[in-house]
Amino acid sequence: MKTAYIMQKEIRESILTPKGFLWYIITSMILSALSYLFLTNSELSLLDQGQMLYRIMNFITALGVLMGLVFGADAFAGEIERGTLEALFLSPVDKGEIALGKLGAVLTNWGIIFAISLPYLFVVGKGEQNLLIGIAYLAILGTFLAIIFSAFSMGLSARIKSMKNSLIISFFVFLLAGAPIFLSAAQRRTWFGRILDFINPFAGAINTFDNVVIDSQGFSYQAGRVAIICGYLLLSLWFLKRSVSRLEM
Amino acid sequence: MIFLTIIAYYTSASAASRIAASINPPFIQANMGDKITYVGTITNNSDRAVNNIIAYISLANVTPGKEAPLDLEDWSANKAIKVDTILPRGTYEGQWPMRLIDSGSYVAYITVVDKNDNTPLSSDMSHLEIKRILRLNPNNVLPVAIGEPVALGMAFMFVAFRRRKWVK
Amino acid sequence: MIISVENLVKKYGDYTALDGLNFTVEHGDIFGFLGPNGAGKTTTIRILTAIIKADSGNVLIEGHNVFKEPLEVKKITNAFPESNGYYEWMTAREYLGFFANLYGEKTSKQDIYELLEVVGLHGKEEHLIRSFSRGMKQRLGIVRALVNKPKLLFLDEPTNGLDPKGRRDIHDLLINLNRKHGTTIFLSTHLLDDVERLCNRIAIINYGKIVRAGELDRMKGKGTIEDIFFLSTKEGTL
Repeated sequence: MKTAYIMQKEIRESILTPKGFLWYIITSMILSALSYLFLTNSELSLLDQGQMLYRIMNFITALGVLMGLVFGADAFAGEIERGTLEALFLSPVDKGEIALGKLGAVLTNWGIIFAISLPYLFVVGKGEQNLLIGIAYLAILGTFLAIIFSAFSMGLSARIKSMKNSLIISFFVFLLAGAPIFLSAAQRRTWFGRILDFINPFAGAINTFDNVVIDSQGFSYQAGRVAIICGYLLLSLWFLKRSVSRLEM
Repeated sequence: MIFLTIIAYYTSASAASRIAASINPPFIQANMGDKITYVGTITNNSDRAVNNIIAYISLANVTPGKEAPLDLEDWSANKAIKVDTILPRGTYEGQWPMRLIDSGSYVAYITVVDKNDNTPLSSDMSHLEIKRILRLNPNNVLPVAIGEPVALGMAFMFVAFRRRKWVK
Repeated sequence: MIISVENLVKKYGDYTALDGLNFTVEHGDIFGFLGPNGAGKTTTIRILTAIIKADSGNVLIEGHNVFKEPLEVKKITNAFPESNGYYEWMTAREYLGFFANLYGEKTSKQDIYELLEVVGLHGKEEHLIRSFSRGMKQRLGIVRALVNKPKLLFLDEPTNGLDPKGRRDIHDLLINLNRKHGTTIFLSTHLLDDVERLCNRIAIINYGKIVRAGELDRMKGKGTIEDIFFLSTKEGTL
């Protein structure tokens, strides 16, 4: 119950604000531009439907991860810097409950981004046979990635206690995780590219989207990657728990 | 020496007359995004079977000012076909489906390669005219592309208005 | 007794903040906790309110071990820390309502109004905290510390930044809380006037140790409170 109060306060502080909504308007405008470009531009519009859907799914996932990292960096370090954490710690709420409430707010943010993206997915993927299964994978893996990266960022925030520094590290992690996007297909086939793909949960997710939406592969082909992502999920939640339990003013 | 020259000439001439290639239809007019299929016919004019023939399609952009060979990566998935055997006096028909990615004037032709010959063989050119069509609202994207940011903007104004508290 | 501290030690790396602290506080005391800067006052309060852990020692609050039952301790105590930040985007009512919920207290609008009236903030329920002056925020912070009707209230420099009327109002509030509701008050302050007006017992801490403790009236028999403070702390820097 107390977790719910914390979550409610976080949502009201970060999401249900004019500034929070500005993020969503910008997201929507970018998705509008991307969708329109994909569907009307001479060469892009003639991409395979599956390709278009795949690219938009990657963008949405990346956005969810990025916002999770930013929210996470503020979670504890921001409250310490604003002087509000002490009053929270004085109240009879377990630190784990505080962390869970904040994580809940981050997931709510992801849920809103996902909901905003749904109409675009339906429009871009109209007629594509793997649209619904693609959306299901995006919902599940996107949620897992949002948890992984925001839990990691929150744990970092609790340990470093400086929002600026935890943001910098979080952005670095985001670039590392997003590295597959910057590598060419040939580079990804090198030993370095393969290792990066294997250990990187973000790469795991986008490769899964590729296999499901473009290559129409079933779950059994994705099981290995999904298992690795689940492993990261548990690891990130453990890291958050440890970091928060050690957090002192 | 003369004898060898005659033999060499005869071999080339034999290669040239042994296999023939043609492409159909000879002319296509279509729109961007359309799917078409070229049919390439390889004829074995000799009395002996020909084996392990490779046939592939090529496109060249002949739009004035934009002349260039075309990379068929996005246009076609199967550009080359391997034919195991064409019987004496037999024919083989290959199909090359294609998605028309860009507008302009093009020529398409089939090239046939027999490793026993020195010279590859090409068919006549098929002319391809692709028209650009302006799609303003494909997949009904506009209501979403415009409507959603507007709806969120209205929600934003609602939230901003509701949160306006009396401030001293 | 409501607070019992035995051999409390807290170190930050090589620096010893608390070096075997020992003292007790009785029910109903307004207990003054004095000391120069860096003596260990804030560290002591943070340990007693179960925000930080000690390296060794025992602390019992109303019979509950602070290190083993922190949540139980937090239910019956509350504090106004020296550096209290606020959720400035909230209204006063939302702020108090939020903390009341965390303490499991059901508060109506009337309850909030009455709480704010106690510190002279009635009529400001729907005002954003960012519009409050420093003194108003201070008063709101004190009210937040009362939201769970604590048996034991810790206050760290509660009248800092308040004008004389504001200070007097806080004094009256604390006296009222103590006499009418039996709230034990643990007051950490530099302002010796506040100590003199409010406290019945004091302890003076220096270099992480209690150097003087006892009933204020008895100690004043040997000199003014300033004398007692400066003699006990030798350097006497405030």
